[in-house]
Formats: sequence, C-alpha cells, structure tokens
Amino acid sequence: MDKTDSKGAEVTDNTWEVKANCHHFHGQLRRKPFRCFRQRRNAENAVRSYRYTVLTFLPLNLYEQFQRFANIFFLLVVILQCVPAIATIPWYTTLLPLIIVLSVRGMKDLSADLARRRSDSQINSRPCDVLTPAGFTTLQWKDVCIGDVLRIHKDQIIPADLLLLCSSEPHSLCYVETADIDGETNLKYRQALSITHSELISDPAEEALSTFDGNVLCENPNNRLYSFKGDLYWRGKTHRLDIEHILLRGMVLRNTDCAYGLAIYTGSDCKILRNSGQVIVKKTQVEKDFNRVVIGIVLTLLLVAVLMAVGSGLFEYRVSPKMEVLSALGGGSTPVYRGFLAFWGYVILLSPSMPIALYITFEMIHVVHCLLIGWDLHMYWANNDTPAQARSKSLNEELGQVGHLLSDKTGTLTQNRLIFRQCCIAGDIYGSTSLSAEDAKPLDLSWNPYSYGGLHFHDQRLVDRLVKQQCPQSQEFLTSLVLCHTVMSEWKNGTIRYQAASPDEEALVVAARELGWVFLSRTRDSLTINALGQTLNYELLALLDFTSDRRRMSVLVREPGGGLKLYCKGADVVILERLQKDSPHQESTARALEIFAQGCLRTLCVAVRTVTEQQWQKWRDGLQEGEALVEELHGRMERELMLLGVTAIEDRLQDGVPEAISSLRQAGIKVWVLTGDKTETAVNVGYSCRLIDPDTNLLQGEELRQLLQSPTPEIRSFKDLDVWCIDNRPPWSKVTVVITGHQLADLMEEPEWGARFVALSNQCQSVLCCRVTPGQKAEVVRLIRKHTSSVTLAIGDGANDVNMIKTAHIGVGLCGVEGSQAVQNADFALSQFSFLCRLLLVHGHWSYYRICKFLHYFLFKTTAFALVHIWFGFFSGFSAQPLYETWFIPFYTIAYTSMPVQCLAIFEQDVSAEGCLRWAALYKTGQRRDLFSPATLAASLLYSVYTSLVLCLLPLGAFHSTALDYQTLAITVATSAVFTVTIEIIIQTRYWTKYNIAAICLSLALYFILTLIVHSKILHDKLPADFYFTGVIIIAFSDPVVWLTILLTTCTATLPSLTGLALNVVLTQSSKHRVHSMMLPTQVRRPGGFRRGGVLRHSSYAMSQGAGFGRLITSGTGLHATAPAQEGAEAAANGTKENNDKL
Amino acid sequence: MAASCWPASGFYREKKRNCSARTAIFDGGMMKNKEGEVANRPDNTAFTQQRLPAWQPMLSAGIVIPGFLVIGLVFIGIGVALFLGSQSIQVLESDYTGLNSNTPCYECSDASKKNCTCSIEFTLTKQFDGPVFLYYGLSNFFQNHRKYGVSRDYYQLSGDTAYFKNPSDSCSPYIYDSGVPIVPCGAAANSMFNDSFRLYQLVGGTKKPVPLDGKGISWWTDYNIVFRNPPLVNGSLAAAFNGTAKPVNWAKPAYELDTSDPSNNGFMNEDFLVWMRRAALPDFRKLYRRITQGDYAAGLPVGNYSLEISYNYPVIGFGGRKKIVLSNVSWMGGKNMFLGVAYLVIGSLCIVMSLVMLIVYAKYKFPEGDS
Repeated sequence: MDKTDSKGAEVTDNTWEVKANCHHFHGQLRRKPFRCFRQRRNAENAVRSYRYTVLTFLPLNLYEQFQRFANIFFLLVVILQCVPAIATIPWYTTLLPLIIVLSVRGMKDLSADLARRRSDSQINSRPCDVLTPAGFTTLQWKDVCIGDVLRIHKDQIIPADLLLLCSSEPHSLCYVETADIDGETNLKYRQALSITHSELISDPAEEALSTFDGNVLCENPNNRLYSFKGDLYWRGKTHRLDIEHILLRGMVLRNTDCAYGLAIYTGSDCKILRNSGQVIVKKTQVEKDFNRVVIGIVLTLLLVAVLMAVGSGLFEYRVSPKMEVLSALGGGSTPVYRGFLAFWGYVILLSPSMPIALYITFEMIHVVHCLLIGWDLHMYWANNDTPAQARSKSLNEELGQVGHLLSDKTGTLTQNRLIFRQCCIAGDIYGSTSLSAEDAKPLDLSWNPYSYGGLHFHDQRLVDRLVKQQCPQSQEFLTSLVLCHTVMSEWKNGTIRYQAASPDEEALVVAARELGWVFLSRTRDSLTINALGQTLNYELLALLDFTSDRRRMSVLVREPGGGLKLYCKGADVVILERLQKDSPHQESTARALEIFAQGCLRTLCVAVRTVTEQQWQKWRDGLQEGEALVEELHGRMERELMLLGVTAIEDRLQDGVPEAISSLRQAGIKVWVLTGDKTETAVNVGYSCRLIDPDTNLLQGEELRQLLQSPTPEIRSFKDLDVWCIDNRPPWSKVTVVITGHQLADLMEEPEWGARFVALSNQCQSVLCCRVTPGQKAEVVRLIRKHTSSVTLAIGDGANDVNMIKTAHIGVGLCGVEGSQAVQNADFALSQFSFLCRLLLVHGHWSYYRICKFLHYFLFKTTAFALVHIWFGFFSGFSAQPLYETWFIPFYTIAYTSMPVQCLAIFEQDVSAEGCLRWAALYKTGQRRDLFSPATLAASLLYSVYTSLVLCLLPLGAFHSTALDYQTLAITVATSAVFTVTIEIIIQTRYWTKYNIAAICLSLALYFILTLIVHSKILHDKLPADFYFTGVIIIAFSDPVVWLTILLTTCTATLPSLTGLALNVVLTQSSKHRVHSMMLPTQVRRPGGFRRGGVLRHSSYAMSQGAGFGRLITSGTGLHATAPAQEGAEAAANGTKENNDKL
Repeated sequence: MAASCWPASGFYREKKRNCSARTAIFDGGMMKNKEGEVANRPDNTAFTQQRLPAWQPMLSAGIVIPGFLVIGLVFIGIGVALFLGSQSIQVLESDYTGLNSNTPCYECSDASKKNCTCSIEFTLTKQFDGPVFLYYGLSNFFQNHRKYGVSRDYYQLSGDTAYFKNPSDSCSPYIYDSGVPIVPCGAAANSMFNDSFRLYQLVGGTKKPVPLDGKGISWWTDYNIVFRNPPLVNGSLAAAFNGTAKPVNWAKPAYELDTSDPSNNGFMNEDFLVWMRRAALPDFRKLYRRITQGDYAAGLPVGNYSLEISYNYPVIGFGGRKKIVLSNVSWMGGKNMFLGVAYLVIGSLCIVMSLVMLIVYAKYKFPEGDS
C-alpha cells in the first residue's frame, strides 16, 4: 500500500499541515487569521461542550430565552406598561410572572450546562501517553497537541485522530473496535504504512519515534468518517495516506498491545466531533398545534384590541365631550388618539390571556414525565442494570399517538445472541426446544478442561456418545464444526475467546468447544484443535468463504493422518443438492429440518467429502490458471458431499416480544419490521413473535408488484378506503406484505406506488421489509410520514438503525450488544423490546391524556379569566378598566391556579397501568387524536368565552341598581373566577392523590391569604397607591349578596362542564361494561410448536455483520508466524471496505 | 422479572397486591446480582412507580341525575327565598332630574340656576318598615371609567401633607388651580355629588322633619384606614389645608363640607367617602342617609311626605339622570330581583337537565337490558 507517489503535488486542497514532534510549530500555527478563537482550540485536544461561563451566563441565557415568542411578547408588554398613558395595569403584573418563568428556565439551563461541564472535564482528563523529550509521559487528553506522538495501550480509547505509525503487532496491524463511531462491535483493522512500520519499530520505542520528523499534509478537518486524503512527506519521499492508516478518536484499541500514532486532528477538529452536528429538536404535533393556538390567541387579542379601540374612539367621540369630567381627563386629545391609546391599553390588559407560564410548565411536566419513565421499575433491566431513559424531553405525549412502529429485527426483536440448541446427526435429533434454556439441567461437562459455559444444549445422549467414542459420525460432525469456520481465537485471562464475523459461527464453535472439540488457534495454513484432550494439527489447504450467493463455506484440510477432507456447511437447499446420490439419512434429515423450522431455529447443513490428492492438485492448478471462474471451480470441489448433520441455532427472541407485539397490534399500532436479513428469516421471526398470525397469507414478490402496478378496479378502490375496507376486511386483515429492498427501491421511484403501497399496507396486518439498507429504512419511514398522518416510531439497536431512528417522529434505541450508536441518536432508550409496550401503552397513553387535559385546562383558565375585560369594556366606556385588582392578575397565574393543573398533569390516570396494558385498545384514543384536535380546542375556547361572559355579566347583573361598588365587584368576579377554574380542575381530575387535594386546598388558601395580605392595612400604609383595596375582602365577604353572586356565577360558569360530565357518565356508563368485555383479549393463544401447515425452512447465517475474516485468514495477515503478505493489506482493505459498505 | 410488561392478573381491586407481588419478584431478581450492579435501579416508591393511593370517584347515572336534581332544587330554593325577600322589600324610587316641565324639579334643571331647591311629595299608604335607607342614584355617569378611577392621589387622601404641595400626576388635569395645588385633587373628588336632601312628614299642614342619619354610611375601612385627614395645625383642620385650593367644582373647601359637625369634614366626610368609592356600573346608587332615629326608627308611618332637594349637580348635559331611592333592607341587603330570578332560572335549568338525562339514560339503558 505504500505507493511512493512522486506526483504528490497534484493534490491541491491538502492544506492542513502536521509536523511530527514539532511542538513549537503547532504552537504558533495560524489557520485562518480571522477565526482566532478557533485557532486557540485547534492545537489542544480539550473538548468544550458547555456554553456558559460565569460572565456570559446571564446575557447569553437571556438572549436565548428571549428568542422564544412568548417571552419576547411579555417583555414588550412590560415595556408598554412603562408608558403611563397606556399602563392599564401596572408593570409588576406582567413582570412578576415573566421573571419567575425566566428564572425557572435559567436554572434549568444552568444545571444542564453544569452537567455538560462535568462530563467535559471527565473526558478531558482521561490519561494518555504522549512522547515528550523525556520519553513517554502520561498526560491528560486535553494536553495532546497536533504533531504529538502518542502511545495507545490495549483497550484504551483513542484520544484524537491519529496517523498510525506502528504497532506491536506484525505488519503494524492493529485492531480497533468502532462501536462508538458506527455502532459495530466486530473488530476492524488498521495498518500502518510499511515505511513507518519498518523504520520506526525500535526498542525502546521512544528512540525511533522521537526522531521521526515526517510531515503530513492533508485535507482540512471534516466530518467524513470513511475517507481521508493526505500525504506523508518523510525523508524526501511522499507516501499516500488514506483512512486505513488513521485511528479515529473514539475507537478502542483491541487485541493489540500498543500502537503508536501521530496526532493529526485534535479536539473539535476530530472527525467524530465534526460529526456530532446540531441536534435536531423534534416537536410533537400537539405542541405545534398548540403553538398555532397561541399565535391565534395573540392575533385574536390584537383584533379584539382594535375593536375595543374603535369602541373607545366612538365613546370618546360621542359620550366624553358631553361629560365635563371625561373630556377634561381626555386632555384635549382627539378621539382617534384616545382610541389609539386604548388599543395599547387593551393589548396590555388582555395579555394575560396569552398563557405565559404555559411553556415553562409544559417543559417541567415533560421533564417529570421523562423522570417517571426512568423511574419505572417495569422498564428497568436488572441484567445490565439499566433503567429506561428519556433522552429527548419533549416527545412524551407523542408516545401515546404512535400509529406505525418500525422495528429492526436483529438485536431488537431477537437478542442477537445465537444459541446452539439442537442438532441432527445421522438422522438422530439431539436436544430439544421444549424446555427453555434456563430451566434445563445443565450438562455435566466437568470432564472438559476447556468448558467455560455458555452452552444451552441439553442432551446427555450426545455427550455420552461423544465421550465413549461410539459414534464416528458425531465425531466427524464436531470436527467439521471446529474446522469449517473463519473464527479467530485469542487467549485472554486463561480462557479462549473467539472473534467471529458471524454470530452463528461463534455459536457453533463455542458449542463444539463445550462438547470437547476445541478450536485452539490458527495460522495462515494450519488449524490447531483439541479433540477430547488430543491436540491435533490440521493443515489448511483452502478456505472457500461464505458469500450471500454461495450460501455455504468450505475448508479443505489435510488431516494429521495425511488424508484430505473437505468440510462444508451451508444452507440446506444448497447442501442437499450437492450430496452424493446415495447419501444416507436424507429423509430423516429433511424431517429434522421441518422440526427445527417449526421451532423457529436457524439451520445449517454440515457435510464432508474426502478429497484425493489428484483432485486437490487438479483443483489447485485450475485455481492458479483460470482465475476467472473461481466460483465454478469452487462449485466443482463442493459436490459429492456426504451429509453429516444439521445444526439448529436459535436466534432467540427477546423476552416478552411476542406478547408485546400482539399487545401493540391490539392497540392499533401497525408494526413493520425492517431488516437487513433474508426474507425467510424475517418471515419466521415474524411468525414466532406473533407479528404474523398463523393463518396469514403473505403478499410478496410478483403478486405484490402486480397489485401495485395494475390500475385494476380493486386497486383504485384504495382511494376509497372506507368502502374498500368494509368490503374486504376479512381477507385483507389476514395479509402480510413482504417486500425486499430491491422492490422497495423500485417503489421509491414511482411516487404513486408509494402512496398505494402505504395505503395497501395500512389495510394489511403487518409489513416485513427484508434486505433493506440503513438508508432504505429511513426511506420507508419517510414514505409513511409522507403518505399518512400517523406518528411513526422507529426502534433499533445498531448503527444501521440510526437513520431510521433519526427520521421517525420518535426514535427508540435499545441498549443492545451493538454499541451505543442507536441509543446516542434515540429519543428514548430501553433495554428490552418488551418495555416498549409499557412505554407506549402506559407512559405514552398517560402522557397524552395528561398533556391534552393540561393544555385544554391551561388554555381555559387563562383565557376565561382574561377575556372578562372585553365584556367589562362595554360597561366602562371601553376605557380598558381592569375588572380585577391589579395584584390578582399575577397571583392568579403564579399562585392561585398553577398547582392543581400541574398535579393533574403529573398524577392523572384515566386507567391504571394494568388497565392500559390489558385493554390495549384504549391506546387508540391517541392515534385518533380524540383528546387534542381543532374541535376540542375550539370547544375549550368557546367554553372559556362563555365562562368569561358569565363571570362578567352575572355579577354586573346582580350589582345593577344596588349600592355595591366597583371594588366589591372586582373581588366578586375574582373569587368567582378562582372558584370556577378550581371547580373545573375538580371536574377534570379523576385520580385524586393527596397531592391533588393538597394543591387545590393550598391554592384556595393562598387566594384568601394573599388577598387578605394585599388588602391589609400595613401594605396600604406603606404604599397607598399600589394597595388601595384595603379591607375590601372583609367587607365584601360579609355581604351575603356577594356570596350569593359568587355561588350563582360559579355554578353557571361550570354548568356546561358539569352537564358534559354528567351526560358523558349517563351515556357511557350503561355501555361501559359491555365495552370492556369486548376489549378483553379474546384471542386464544396457541401453544408454541405447530403453527401452520407449510413451515418455511430457514437456513442461513446471520449476514448482517458483513463478510468474515476468510480472506484475512487465507492471506495470513495478522496471524503470527506467517509469511509476509502484500495481499494481506489488500485483504484487510477489502474486508473493511465491505464493512463500510454495510453502513 | 422477564415479562415485566405483563400484569399477573387482576385489575383495580387486585392492584395493590399485584404491585407487592411484583416487587417481590424484583427483589428476587436482585439477589442474583451483586450489590453494586443495581446502582441504577430506580426507587420502588409509590410516587416513582405512579401508584400513589388515589381516590377515583366513579360517577354513575345514579349519582349524577339526582345530583343535578338536588342542585336544581337548592337553587330554586335560594331563588324563591331571594325572590320573596326582594318582594318584601319596599322601595320608593323617584327621578328628580326634572326633564319634563310637569316634574317638580323642572326649574332647577336649568344649569344656570344656583341654589335652587325643589321638593317631591309622596304618600305612603302602607307603613314603610325601618330601618329605611335613603340613596341617591346617578345614571350614565362613568365612575368606572379607567381614567376617572385613577384620577386621585392616594397619598394625599391618606393625609400625607407632602402631596398637598405636590399632588400626583395621576390627578391630571385637576392638579393645580391657577398654580395652587388642589386638595383633594383629581377628577373623582372634583365631580363629587353635591345635591342634598331633607325629608319631612306632612302632618296636618306642618312639616315634621324626619331625622336623617349620616353616620356610618361609608365603609369603616375607608373611614378608619384608607382616608386620613392631615394632622391638625394649631387644632385647626382649615389651617392644615393652608396653601391648597378646593376642587374647582366644589362650592366649599374640603374642611367645610359639613358645617354642622366639625368631625365630619375634610377627608373624613362620609359623603365624600361614599362618593370616592367608585361605582361598578355607569348606573349606580349610593347611600345618602339612614332613617334610624326618633319616631322613625321603626320606619316611616303611613302619611304624606315631602322631600326637599337642594338641586346642584348637573347631569342633563351628558344625558344622565338623578334619582332618589327610599328603601328598607332585609338579610340580603336591598331589593335584588336579578339574583332571585337568576337562581330560579339556573335551578330550573338543572332540573330540566336532570330530566333530560333521565330520559337519555332510560333510552340508552333499556334497549340494552332487552338484548
């Protein structure tokens, strides 16, 4: 790979210069003069994700907060209130709530920033070894500079983007785990340039490295994780560099004692940090709708203010001039000008109808709901000590509205832990699935020194036969398992660890080890195994690796005895057609395959063939000459096989997945499974996890294409969904669409098909998308989002699900084995798929219910209380006279009405958690948007208009032609308003905890206490102009008319709500039990086992993890004691490329 | 622990037991792990697990329909009581604006006439039970206009002499009268009602004065807390008002409002206090006097009466009306037909509602019972 490129100068955009071991150069490095503050950072490796410092917190945070519409609106109102001519209510009525809102939010931002600061300093102070003139010194991450030479030890995290110079492994190969970068847990390899490898290896390492004075010219920092362009100029020569020579920050060094690298990009210039772009803040539909309502309120407010201004102008024109007092008060200004002032006066007076505290309360409630998700013991997974986690704090109510669930398969529905469960050797079936893995009595494997556990196979018969060496076929079977694979072994803490590209292979090799056939080590051309205590060395002649086309792999080995054997394993279809004609046990094996398939096991056939020396020679010659037909040559070798047996591997479903899926389906959620796996595997998992009912028809392939393609009347009726669905419901609800990535790609090209496909899918039971790429997963989500209005939820565990998770309305990541990438990008993190059921049906449903109630009530209470001023304007000459005491207005928002609604939004439950799960159909209220729609909002607003009318007119009517004064009226209306909204919350609350009761009592008590204080003598004596309602509460409340008016007003105002409640009770109650009995799950769950007639057999590897180490093994790179390998690097390059292609 | 999503069995009633059972399972699961491995385990409290003991009122038609009936009946009861109470209250109302030439105060309605008096005569054919209250009423007078309301100086009215020299801007334009600060300043004080009334019983051609009691007609909080006269200077209230001007519309300065009773002057004049308490509506009445003394403590006996009005306050210019109201009071204050009728209407509505619900309930329930 070390192409010595004399034309290195042709690369023009390589402007990033790194000089090794040249600290002072980088100290004064100037990149772009005008961005000097970035410059300061680029030499360091410290990351800084916090935003505020002591000095900048206040201005920056206020700046951020005033970007919110509501806050800036209220700031404007406060400013308006400082103009005496229009200050209808004093400035403190608005400033008080605004300050509270700003400070609560400021505290929240501050605490989040402190957390970021802590995590930054924790990362920045991680240790790493840096080469200094005094040798390698352990410094902190933040001390690493560009041009430094670092030493990375095994299992250390790479602190910056490094150019790999050399490593302790042969060929300066080094293995890295990239889980934090792309989520894949299989090992990748990186290799140093051979020039640096050969020149810089020295003992001690410092010697050569400290004299290294290479100069790297490369592209500027960017976010491309899979490409790197640059050149190393060293000793007068140019060496082309690419991504294969780079260790990225965040990778973990594995299986390599130490690696030496040159820091190229540090700190925020690292590719991984460049990649962590702006977080897209997702907003829920409910929030968007409510924002529209708020904008609507503001517009209405302005419109009303205009109308009131017109009224005021008319009043000033027609009434005031006649009245000496009023015309004098007008001060000689024109009616138009007075109307203009009245406009602003009414803007101020009506501004409390805009819910100022709503957003902060809304956020706080979301935070509490998120905490409740994290606190739920039913979503805590003790096995890995992980509770559920709500990473996004704004999507809770949308959890209650999910219409489409898009799930990954591997690692999400299944555990991604493959277990060798059964096998069939020479027609005999060993092991059974009837017992679950945990319950069975473990085998006694104490005779095997290499047994480390991990076997879930329970059949003593096989062990007995093996140990007693009675059954040569079973020995041959295990020999084939232990030889025919591409697994690499490693000794760690005295045990053997296997590294496999495919989890299936690992499961088989582990099973063989437990049963006494131990794979010890391999070199390029030999395999060392230990069979029942006997160490054997096989010469590896050829390894024909697995590809998705071939669906089989073979090894050709020379036995210790000298014989040549070809071991082959692969999909049943492929192997069975390559057997000898008279191969025994074919029938019994076919039966075994059926049985295994019914048990939803993944099967592989294992076969052997004895090869003669002549055949081997001939084949080898053919391989060397006509390389064009390698496939055919391989095929020529892999025939005339003798069947040894069948392995059955369980791709175990996660616990509770079938129940969860059937429950989610009952809840009306369309479950789509998107997988990179093969169709058969996906379909079988679909059956086993109850995604597909046993009697469901599969609609796939050509049939599906025709259905989508042909504009037959039947298809046309898609558009008329209602009719269509009634007519055809029975057949269509029993159909599952199975579509592959290729078909999907075709589908995407024709927009009309997409709509049809989604319409069709919505009528079907479920949809399986197989062989889809990560990009296509996201495409599917986009397709659904485009053609339906339903909320999509994507759940996955691997890096290949990240696209989908980010695209969907809600992304859920499973803390699985495949790294943390999915979780990093998800809105919610769970440990088990089955928790999703509780997350949606319980937390989602409750959140939706609570937040809808909360928003409606909040809207009601703010508008009902503020709109009163419109009606009072008609009686006070449109003079913007407040109907409340000025102190009542801020206290109403802050103290009198804020607590009960928060309790409602936190504690309310319409149905208990058990009920939510049991009657999953209750979830449909969220999907139908029953609780929050334009209609419900309009009803709520109408109700608040009615209430405000009642609050104003009834007391006015009662006070008409009496000697009761304005202040008594004010306190009557205020008390009625407080009582009305309190009764309304009492009506809304169905779940009375002690906190609800306390909040309501406290609010009412606060109302009386604060009013008493405001009306007290002491405050009046201090500030008579601000506290002039002195004694009103005492005198007014001793008048029975006031109380009678309050009672009348409150009851009249709440009468519609009470009537609605009562009618609801009367109408639903009689049918309640009937509904509930209908909702009870009527489905009788079938016992496992025989699910349907023709069971599809599925026989394959899990191919989602990319190609194996086959080429690496045959080329010998990375294996000790092998010949130097030019092609090794190539193999590594190819292997990694394949891996990369998977992304 | 595995299928934690799934409740074992039971529903509402078994809720509690389920929870404890589940807790036990959790604890059992934990035994397998080492102590340190459950560091992230959430607390098992009623709050975090959202199973706080709660009362869930289960409403049924059996509660709701009678509930509405009861509310309706209570309201009708209150309504009837209010209605009857109002009915029993005697009210005598008379508009003395003098718009029509045949009304007694027609001559006085001419704004140019000063110190005009007129009298209204009326006959009581029935005993007017005491205590009888005398109100004056104004209509179309916007005391509840915002600018009118703020046009006063609370500091001044609380006797703070600093504001005697420098009244607050809120009094504009009634702050200074040709450079001299007005006390009490502002539109509210300036527009004070200044008609006065005298009531006589006509007994055999002679006028027997009915004593009118002006004590305690204002709010005691106003009288005792809010309004304060400035500290007396040399024992004289007038001296305390030195250097101030009377409001332009006033005939006499504040310290001479009541010549008969020296203590009823300045900001402690009860008529002034009554006036300064703003009315809620443009049509309002304010208490003028009570008849509680002498022969008339038990009420006004049958007979002829004459009400002498000293007519000063102009209202015709803005289309206003003035009236005088004699009324007695019951437990619920003055006559208030609105409240009684409103209670009756709302009560009837509730009863109608309960009947509708009963019908709806019967209609929905019985078909189901059949099937």
